[in-house]
Amino acid sequence: MEGKRGESGMKDSCSSVSKLLEKYFDQEVTDKERSFIESHLRDCLTCQGELKSMEKLRDLVKAPIEEAVREEEFYWVWQKIKRGIQLREKSTGWESLRSWLDISPLFRRRVWIPVAVTMVILIVMVPLLFKKITSYPSPSVVEYIESQTHNVMIYESEKAKVTVIWLFEGPEEAPIS
Amino acid sequence: MNQEEAELISRCQQGDQDALKEIFDQYHKKVYRIAYGVVRQREDSLDIVQEVFIKLFRSIQNFKGKSKFYTYLYRLALNTAIDHVRKTGKYAVSSLDQEGIPQPAEESEKRPDQILLHKELEGKVNLAMERLPIDQRTALLLREVEGLSYQEMAEAMGCSIGTVMSRLHYGRKKMQELLKDYVKPHG
Repeated sequence: MEGKRGESGMKDSCSSVSKLLEKYFDQEVTDKERSFIESHLRDCLTCQGELKSMEKLRDLVKAPIEEAVREEEFYWVWQKIKRGIQLREKSTGWESLRSWLDISPLFRRRVWIPVAVTMVILIVMVPLLFKKITSYPSPSVVEYIESQTHNVMIYESEKAKVTVIWLFEGPEEAPIS
Repeated sequence: MNQEEAELISRCQQGDQDALKEIFDQYHKKVYRIAYGVVRQREDSLDIVQEVFIKLFRSIQNFKGKSKFYTYLYRLALNTAIDHVRKTGKYAVSSLDQEGIPQPAEESEKRPDQILLHKELEGKVNLAMERLPIDQRTALLLREVEGLSYQEMAEAMGCSIGTVMSRLHYGRKKMQELLKDYVKPHG
């Protein structure tokens, strides 16, 4: 009778302990709960087994990860992180320029494309035109000779040392009636 | 958070890369454990470590010191690892299938049959972890590998202590069931 009562008492205790056993294993119980569990564990093989099972599981989960950490070389990882930060800083600068362009309503409307093209054309063409004009200064008429049949005009440019002699027919005289 | 750590974080918030290096030296193994625990692949785990510290450098301004710094970092690591799994759809190839991983020193002294048994068991643990929902898997990692308290786990996982306990309980039950030949006490 007493034995039965003891067995049933242990079972009751087991069900109360099993609720706390995980917390006990994780060291999250109060002092009162700890002493209750520990006094139960001294006599209960089932609960001791449960606890051992949790310990074995912990070892199984932990071992391959710890092994992976031991095997790994980390010295080059920092170099990659450093490079990653620098790359992102560069792209951040570009992104901020782009975002500034997006903010401006003029740029958002893409008005700047024809404006930019015109500016480029002007920048390229103006010096060329200017060069042409300066390299060939306007010629001056040196002499102009008229005759009855032909006219002669002589142009001369000092810098280019070019002389143009222009010979053309004179105006026909109106027949004398 | 002690004063030394507070100063380190403050320097990092001002863009000091040397401060980030100090944080890296202190925490890179912890971040790797989380990454490897979630994705179970060496190369991917290293990529995650890099990503976590780059993200940390960019987002450390958001750390106001209300929680512990390492729980903030764990949260960043967990989210990055979980995002990686979701993006790539990759997880937990058994180590038996992996090539090019060097044997640790003590392993080379073991007999070939022992190494095979060890690798087989590791493969089974990986497969069992793979079958766990990601929340239960991360709860197990934070508790069993990192040894975080329920409160710290709740901060890192962004949930209540009750949820932490529930995830941990169901995770353990499922793992015990899947690995019953290895975890049940004999006799």
